[in-house]
Amino acid sequence: MRHYESVWVVHGDLPDEEVKSAIDKFSRIITSQGGVLFRLEEWGRRKLAYKIDGTLRGYYILMDFAGTPTTVRELERNYRIDDRVIRYLTVKKADKVDVAARQAEIAAQAQAMAAAAEAEAPAPEEMAAEPGEAAAAEEEV
Amino acid sequence: MPAMPRRKRKQFFVRRKVCRFCVDSKLVIDYKDAATLRQFITERGKIIPRRISGNCARHQRSLTRAIKQARLLALMPYVPSPPPA
Repeated sequence: MRHYESVWVVHGDLPDEEVKSAIDKFSRIITSQGGVLFRLEEWGRRKLAYKIDGTLRGYYILMDFAGTPTTVRELERNYRIDDRVIRYLTVKKADKVDVAARQAEIAAQAQAMAAAAEAEAPAPEEMAAEPGEAAAAEEEV
Repeated sequence: MPAMPRRKRKQFFVRRKVCRFCVDSKLVIDYKDAATLRQFITERGKIIPRRISGNCARHQRSLTRAIKQARLLALMPYVPSPPPA
């Protein structure tokens, strides 16, 4: 299995449900073709550098996956058929990928992110609490 | 650190351009990173030649490729959009 990365753009004027169903459809294509989807990253609606199909907005999605050349052929064939997709680019990252190792790596990254978010969250609360207490103390005086 | 003599020499010699990607290995060329790639195009959207940017051949090649990929995905312009009239 090879390691691929595919970025594709959905027409930005479509409602969220349409985008969701497109994401669902294309991630299923990967798995149905014997691929493994490691990570799905939604960049969300972004401004395009130029007009495509009469719009300047596009919903960007990145898929990090393992698969065979057949997986990619099928995926790209469907990109071309689906009118919601206005642009796509699939890049091969490596000729060989250790699926279990990559999954572990992704999981570790996600955990680190969650830990960082947790560490950050309580800090502002403490900061906010202190001035409040100080103000209360002053009022009492 | 021979900082002083080097500074003096600059007045006589043309500054030697070095490839930024060779100097800093943390800098990676990625078609998804439009902000970095933008440093290597002109206001007209053209790719800055090696002769000007000082990049080495290998990095210029991958940079060119990344810029073209970014253009395809509309992350970067082929031609800058005209200012709103």
